[in-house]
Amino acid sequence: MVDKVQAELKSAFSDLTIHEESYPECGYHLSLDLAAGDLEKAARFFDDRRFYLAVELCVDYREYLEIVYIFSIHSSLCKVKVTLKIDPVNPVAPTLSKVFDCAWWYEREIHEFYGVRFDGHSDMTYLFLHDGIDVYPLRKEKVLVAEADRLELNSFSPEQREDSLSINMGPQHPSTHGVLRVVLRMDGEYIEDAYPVLGYLHRMQEKMAENRTYQQFLPNTGRMDYLGAMSYNLGYVTAVERLVGIDVPARAHYVRMIATELNRIASHLLWVGAYLADLGGLSPFLYAFDDRENLLDVLEAVTGSRLTYCYFRFGGLYNDVDDAFVAGTKAFVARMRGRFALYEKLVGGNVIFINRTRGIGVIERELARKCAVCGPVLRGAGIGMDFRKAEPYAAYAEMNFEIPTGRNGDALDMYHIRIREMETSLDIIDQSLARLSDGPFMVEKPPKKLKPRKGDLYHTVETPRGELGIYIVSDESDKPYRMKWRVPSFSNLMAFPELAKGNLLSDAVAILGSLDLVIPEIDR
Amino acid sequence: MEQILKILDIEGVRLAVGLLAVFLFVVVNALILTWAERKVAGHMQLRIGPKEVGPYGLIQPLADAMKLLGKEIITPRNVDKPIFYLGPIMIFIPVLVAFVVIPFDSYLQVRDINVGILVILAFSSFTVLSILMAGWGSNNKYSLIGSIRSIAQSVAYEIPLLLSLLAVIMMTNSLSLKDVVVAQKGIWFIFLQPVAFIIYFIAAVAETNRTPFDLPEAESELVAGYHTEYSGMMFALFFLAEYTNMFIVSAITVTFFLGGYQGPFLPGIVWFLLKSYFLVFVMMWFRWTFPRVRFDQLLNISWKALIPLSFINLLVTGGLLKL
Amino acid sequence: MDKVLDLARANSLWPVTFGLACCAIEMMSAAMSRFDIDRFGAGVFRPSPRQADLMIVSGTVTKKMAPVLLTLYDQMPSPKWVIAMGNCAISGGPFVFEGQYNLIEGVDKLIPVDVYVPGCPPRPEGLLEGFLKLEEKITGTRRFPGPVERW
Repeated sequence: MVDKVQAELKSAFSDLTIHEESYPECGYHLSLDLAAGDLEKAARFFDDRRFYLAVELCVDYREYLEIVYIFSIHSSLCKVKVTLKIDPVNPVAPTLSKVFDCAWWYEREIHEFYGVRFDGHSDMTYLFLHDGIDVYPLRKEKVLVAEADRLELNSFSPEQREDSLSINMGPQHPSTHGVLRVVLRMDGEYIEDAYPVLGYLHRMQEKMAENRTYQQFLPNTGRMDYLGAMSYNLGYVTAVERLVGIDVPARAHYVRMIATELNRIASHLLWVGAYLADLGGLSPFLYAFDDRENLLDVLEAVTGSRLTYCYFRFGGLYNDVDDAFVAGTKAFVARMRGRFALYEKLVGGNVIFINRTRGIGVIERELARKCAVCGPVLRGAGIGMDFRKAEPYAAYAEMNFEIPTGRNGDALDMYHIRIREMETSLDIIDQSLARLSDGPFMVEKPPKKLKPRKGDLYHTVETPRGELGIYIVSDESDKPYRMKWRVPSFSNLMAFPELAKGNLLSDAVAILGSLDLVIPEIDR
Repeated sequence: MEQILKILDIEGVRLAVGLLAVFLFVVVNALILTWAERKVAGHMQLRIGPKEVGPYGLIQPLADAMKLLGKEIITPRNVDKPIFYLGPIMIFIPVLVAFVVIPFDSYLQVRDINVGILVILAFSSFTVLSILMAGWGSNNKYSLIGSIRSIAQSVAYEIPLLLSLLAVIMMTNSLSLKDVVVAQKGIWFIFLQPVAFIIYFIAAVAETNRTPFDLPEAESELVAGYHTEYSGMMFALFFLAEYTNMFIVSAITVTFFLGGYQGPFLPGIVWFLLKSYFLVFVMMWFRWTFPRVRFDQLLNISWKALIPLSFINLLVTGGLLKL
Repeated sequence: MDKVLDLARANSLWPVTFGLACCAIEMMSAAMSRFDIDRFGAGVFRPSPRQADLMIVSGTVTKKMAPVLLTLYDQMPSPKWVIAMGNCAISGGPFVFEGQYNLIEGVDKLIPVDVYVPGCPPRPEGLLEGFLKLEEKITGTRRFPGPVERW
């Protein structure tokens, strides 16, 4: 696949050099540096070949700003990094929002954080930030927001149209699970347009990463996605280990996988409960939490926390697991396997639940690709993409498990996929427990100070919500030069306006719930 | 004793005593039901529910009521004041009227009106009016949508409600509730009219805006629906009305289908309350088990299933009676 | 009369359904089967601030969220109380660093706070203790014997 794309790229862009990169080191296979004029052509090139835009981000190299596009494909492993250098004094770039829907969001983000204007972009208003911030926060030098830019950023006013009712769902609303705000333009009970406004929990994680050493930033990862904290931990440590070049002992790998999968089950359990609560049925929430509490007991004994874990270290684990943990995990696995029947009775077989979710929020494959939707939502659309299989990290390559996919892409499918994913997680735990052998849980000499090589890395892991991409630029110091988190909830949210259009208000709640959003992860 | 009965026979006294009793009953009933609801919810959800406030948490509702009494009543800006204040008060009219005609026992009835059921049904439309007033007066979009939903819902569900009761009335040939009860001396109407019973009970749950038909106050969609803007005592009134309504529809169900106050051994009033509270429990059971239906599904259930079914039921009843 | 009212208030603290960040999950846990805050009469989470007595600020308050939080607080009818749950709500927690641009370093800069529950996130037991402390503050007496100080 890589060779084919390389050959085709060569013939399409004859005057450009296409660099072949070392995938284990960088996380992408090819890279090319484009001029602004070629960008849209390149995007169309990838679009035609069914690639999706995994992430679009910006790095401030002081002499120039670099916009990085990572293109990836669902059907095989091939990642291409496309870069575009722009002038930092008057930064303008062409937009890709006409080709890839997700670019519309990423470009708004880059605009408010770096001040890059995108030619032809339809909406350059605030997405994460707000009027009170007068600089572009992620620029390395202090750059004030220009007056013209400020006016443009502030030009969003939902009440401007008289003839329709606009409703603010959020930031404090029972069904948004946090502080997401969606402005809905309504025609009676039907939604004409949904417009998410984000950033009510923007905690400056990416800015913070630049101010902290690699070790100091580790606890932050658990607070980005508090439900899948282990996956974030794992993603971050594996990324940095890959960047620095640390080999982790086998025992640590298995324990990492067990902990991560347990955490995935906890996350999905909470989703099942919260989703039913969205639909008005409160009791399953408590049953799910009951299971979750049992699970947390197991995890708490070894990690010391219930929610925002920080259990993994560069080179291994914080502490070793004991027999009690193994026994507790086994007991939980046995208990959980018996609980699925109960959920089927309580939730899956409920007529009202089925009627509320069948045919609601159907995600077409094309939309899924254009919005770079990921995780269970993508698998619901029938694309069996899972980074635990596609790009195995830790010891997932040794594991034997299925990837559940859906047929219709509706909310009911998402429910079944998440339930089945819990079962596959149990399978993985079983296999890991069987392979768990004695040995060190930490490398012999854990690095005191990390000095990664110069360069960048795009590392992906599968969190309970989908594709988590970590893009790290290192300048050989012990602090990352730039760290970008490509978060799954954000991409899943991008599909929401399209899905909500023309549906009832109650359906919008059902759709929003089925996407399983975690707001701090979106806002970072 | 006889003298007391004699005094009670005087129209005015009877009415006054009755109203006082009804008022007391409304308050006590709501207190018990809020406690019961939280306890039922707790036990259905693997937890205990109120426990620390009094034995078994029995004083809990009293504490809640006291607290709500002591709360500031906020009048939000831009509300339509008269309508905003009238809403929660109006909601009590149908409640009081209903109590006047329900026979708790063979002698425990404030007034036996010969068109008793008609009175209840006619006044029950007031509920939706006051919900509309609350929703409109609040000047809040969620409230407005909630009250609009409530209207559509009650229009849709009043028809099957009426039709299912009509089938029973055809059998008794009387609109007086007492006559209906007396007619069930031999066999309860639930056995003669099972379809009507089911239709009536579903419609009744919908009329009281309880889950799975709690769309007017759907928490995850509309925050708190029509009473979003009400605080303190005004909110407590809505709460009170909701629980009283639950009891009333259960009481009517008992009167029409479960033999009213009739039963062996125990006095009539005990039987009546037992049956009614059992139905209330069933409604709580619904609430803590089912998710909420969607708005269009809600209307479909009524217009496409319940109404045709109740018409057929009516026809069959009529045909059988003629035979 | 005031005493009775206080007792009633302390035993019926209805929190507003208002979750901000990680701590919100622990707040939910506190309401669930194992911890069951409803035992103390505080389990009625009201979605509308008009019907609530207590705001649990469960998470980081950003500058973008601050006006919303203030509105919510103003919408609550008095008497009302606030619990600052977690380090973020107390002081900004782990997200304070030099050059931060979007954080309110402690919710007490915006609204008066009655009880602080530290932790990142606090355990549900911690929140329960916060509730008991608040009850103690309202009524002057403590419901259970307090925790033993061991150090």
